[in-house]
Amino acid sequence: MKTKALLIDLPRCTGCRGCQVACKQEYKRQAEKTTFFGGPGYQNPADLSAETWCLVTYNEVLVNGRHDWVFGKRQCMHCEVPGCASACPVKALEKLDSGPVIYHREKCIGCRYCMLACPFVVPRFEYETWNPYITKCTMCAHRQVAGGIPACAKACPTGAITFGDREVLIREAEHRIAGNPGGYVHHIYGMEEAGGTCVLHISSVPFEELGYVMRVPRSPMVAHTEPAMKAVPMVMLGLATVLGASYALRTRKQRDNQPAESGHIS
Amino acid sequence: MTNHWIDMKHADVVMICGSNAVENHPIAAHWIMKAKENGAIVVSCDPRYTRTSAFSDHYCKMRSGTDIAFVNGMINYALQNDRIQLEYVRHYTNATFLLNPEYGFADGLFSGYDQATRSYDRSKWAYALDPSGVPKRDLTMRHPRSVLQLMKAFYARYDIDTVCNITGTPKDVYRKACDVYTSTWAPDRVGCWLYAMGTTQHSHGTQNIRSYAILQLLLGNMGMAGGGVNAMRGESNVQGSTDMGLLYHSLPGYLGEPVAAMQTLSTYLERLTPTSNDPLSANWWQNYPKYITSLLKAFWGTHATKDNDFAYSYLPKTVGNHSYVALVEAMHAGAIKGLFCFGMNPAVGGPNSTRAREALGKLEWMVAIDLFETDSSVFWKRPGTDPSTIATEVFLLPAAASVEKEGSISNSGRWCQWRYKAVEPPGDARSDAWIITQLVAGLRKAYDAGGAFPEPIRQLTWDYGQDADAHGEPDPHRVAREINGYFTEDKDIAGKLWKAGDQAPGFAALQADGSTACGSWIYCGSYPGPNKADNRLARREKSDPAKDPLGMHPNWSWCWPVNRRILYNRASVDAHGQPWDPKRAVIRWNADAKKWEGDVPDGPWPPGEKLPFIMRPEGVACLFAVALVDGPFPEHYEPVESPIRNPMSAVQYSPVCKVWDLKSIGEPGEFPIVATTYRVSEHWQAGAMTRNMPWLVELVPDVFVELSPNLARSKGIRTGDWVRVWTKRGELKARALVTNRFEPLFVAGRAVDQIGIPWHWGYAGIAKGDSANLLTANIGDPNTFIPEYKAFLCDLAKA
Ligand code: SF4
Ligand code: SF4
Ligand code: SF4
Repeated sequence: MKTKALLIDLPRCTGCRGCQVACKQEYKRQAEKTTFFGGPGYQNPADLSAETWCLVTYNEVLVNGRHDWVFGKRQCMHCEVPGCASACPVKALEKLDSGPVIYHREKCIGCRYCMLACPFVVPRFEYETWNPYITKCTMCAHRQVAGGIPACAKACPTGAITFGDREVLIREAEHRIAGNPGGYVHHIYGMEEAGGTCVLHISSVPFEELGYVMRVPRSPMVAHTEPAMKAVPMVMLGLATVLGASYALRTRKQRDNQPAESGHIS
Repeated sequence: MTNHWIDMKHADVVMICGSNAVENHPIAAHWIMKAKENGAIVVSCDPRYTRTSAFSDHYCKMRSGTDIAFVNGMINYALQNDRIQLEYVRHYTNATFLLNPEYGFADGLFSGYDQATRSYDRSKWAYALDPSGVPKRDLTMRHPRSVLQLMKAFYARYDIDTVCNITGTPKDVYRKACDVYTSTWAPDRVGCWLYAMGTTQHSHGTQNIRSYAILQLLLGNMGMAGGGVNAMRGESNVQGSTDMGLLYHSLPGYLGEPVAAMQTLSTYLERLTPTSNDPLSANWWQNYPKYITSLLKAFWGTHATKDNDFAYSYLPKTVGNHSYVALVEAMHAGAIKGLFCFGMNPAVGGPNSTRAREALGKLEWMVAIDLFETDSSVFWKRPGTDPSTIATEVFLLPAAASVEKEGSISNSGRWCQWRYKAVEPPGDARSDAWIITQLVAGLRKAYDAGGAFPEPIRQLTWDYGQDADAHGEPDPHRVAREINGYFTEDKDIAGKLWKAGDQAPGFAALQADGSTACGSWIYCGSYPGPNKADNRLARREKSDPAKDPLGMHPNWSWCWPVNRRILYNRASVDAHGQPWDPKRAVIRWNADAKKWEGDVPDGPWPPGEKLPFIMRPEGVACLFAVALVDGPFPEHYEPVESPIRNPMSAVQYSPVCKVWDLKSIGEPGEFPIVATTYRVSEHWQAGAMTRNMPWLVELVPDVFVELSPNLARSKGIRTGDWVRVWTKRGELKARALVTNRFEPLFVAGRAVDQIGIPWHWGYAGIAKGDSANLLTANIGDPNTFIPEYKAFLCDLAKA
């Protein structure tokens, strides 16, 4: 089976957030309580969360001495060799041949190692609920099985999100960059990051200026996490669920997914 | 729109001016993106760097309210540099027409101005006529009284330095915009102009659009694929509402409003039916009598007869101004006692909303028909109000949403698309048609018991049936069939016999003798048979790209008029019917087959037999036009509230615009900052729908003010701070968003600050906040009376 992927072509993104709302709608995730904006520009909420698996960011950057407004998209990267899955002691996270990294909630014991292991800080824990699980973008695996495309890709008005075979999309990304060398930086984010991912991004400005995680090794995360995780004795796993309960007592502010009291964002 | 959404992909240059299309019409971006893929250059002109600007190749900042200077400068650039499509201009516009000696222009005023009434005598702006009554023309366009020469003199005043001194656009940026856009003068290069409320909501909003039309005509971009002047309507069905005569000054099909001076049908027709002595002019509006008679027959059926002027006397005749602000003022003065508010939220959406909210409190009763409680339906318990002091009796009727009823909507491209009911409306919610039907029944009953002038209501044709369902919803197909029109009696037309009750095949079949009825003549042909299968609005056939390279999809829905997808398409071909731009041919004359190919042409005549602009009595498009009350050419005036003296003339602001209360106008000394209002992608209009939708509230929960870092520093404001913004009318509190996307402008020799505020908020719904319309003024464009929401003066401080 060919590995599927999403190509996020940021210069085509208009920051409309159709994708962000379509994702919430597809998974019936709750709206979060926000005040003003949670990040630069119109970003809301402040971060990915148990309820927000897709987040559009608004970045005011200088391009050739002029102010520009460039948008980014955060979601699970669907790593080829996912750190989250290799860290999971009970195989609650699974990499499918078709690309998606999916989550089996019935297996999950709530240890949250996946959260520590993910270089892109993607998986989140439902601290809000009495019976919490891990949540994250599924690459809409269930829609793919039904012959559809991810909800975000479907909603996007400008073709900024393309769904297809990973190999084909890499060639497409290279083609777009080569065809407009002034319009793109020569970097396909996700081609090599973390050993390669099934969400690929191309951009008009360096990815660090969009707040993308840059300190990701080029090799698969498994090499970094597996030895450490293998050493974890099973008894720790029971402890982790207790820790989960204490996390649930976090402050309201954190749950509101907001930066600081005043709403100041620098 | 003269063109349609899909057609945007054919443009070589897309100008987005007076619109934030990418944010407020996100699907426009879908088609403009396709144009970009084909190498199009996209230009964004806006006071603020928007998501549209980010999408564009070239951004021009400008001061809000200075569009005319901006565009006049481009017109001047085109005229000075011979960047006009000469043959198009010569044959398809009135550039060659000679003007009579009474027309003149000096120091900001056209001839015929009367200071006392603040109005023009437009008879001074007339053509010089030959003895047969046809305008004199000079095809060389060198005659000093030719429109082209008079234009050259008029526009020469708008050189780049002058323009940029007004608009605040950096000169090099402006020159580049002029160069890029006027490059579409070449017959095979096309420019598409997109606008929206950033254009219209000014004291000279109609003239803003005129300036676009003039430029597009000079460049030969009207009638072309990828061209046109395209209004992106603010609501999905706003096109439908104006088509059906919901504006105060028109009847369905853009027939004129009967005013008090038109007491009989013959005076109405005399005033409104244009005449032409030019045999080359189709002068389509000569059919006015057919359209109004058919409309009256649709309204009053057998009660409308030749003997009673087809019940013309039943139509109300207006006295004075009944535009939105005028209505609010009349409510405020106690002259209007009751209000039906269908999906409308004046407490948030109109200008000077404090006054609008007060006005609602002077009504005896108000009926709000909406999906939710709106700011208007709860105005009587708004913050700071004691409900016991308000006597207005308020009814809230729950309405069915668009997906909860069957019917049609007309999009900006004039495509009328049928919609099926997806789900049942919840609870007691009913369609608007059901609510109005009950109202008609109730009024009839009341009139049965007596009352003045009962006939217009008692004799009204209202036969939309009743569905078998529980509520007896009226049948939308019957409404659609009436809009299309039908024969009221047997009629022989060119040898074909039509029976009484037959659906009319198209507006060419409509009659002035009462033998046809038609609810909106421009929709005639949309439902030409008795069965649901005849409903062309419901067609859903995509065409094969090989056969329909322009993506006009003639069998997808139906568009008015006569399914013509691009208006004025006769101007896209030369005198022999061959396209100026063969690679994007809209229509083409096949000389062998003796027929037109492609889109439905503007009239069936072979090429050369009729002039292309068939809706004008001249037969050509008007670079010089007497249609607007504020001048035959667009002249720059400052917004009524402006930080500077008008550099163009001694006339500060539009000499004919309507200012309801001069005391409510602020001076720049007290209010030094330019403000504008706008919308965001995440909210919809006055917010009743989106401020009740948690996913959208999450994205943009609070009203905010965007301002430049410079201004923020000088006021000690940081992002996230609460600030107060105030004008002569009112004040609001909002969060500050300090952004480089707003920059100060260098205008009339000094730096001027601009800020912007989205206007979606009110005190009802999940997301609450102050409406930006607390700040805006009751000022109206003199042609349409649309309020000047987009440019006013304010000051602000940290709260
Ligand atoms: S991005 Fe994180 S959560 Fe997603 S697959 Fe990779 S390691 Fe797992
Ligand atoms: S792929 Fe599916 S789950 Fe992931 S961001 Fe898109 S819509 Fe959400
Ligand atoms: S839907 Fe597409 S254009 Fe809109 S924010 Fe998402 S990626 Fe960008």
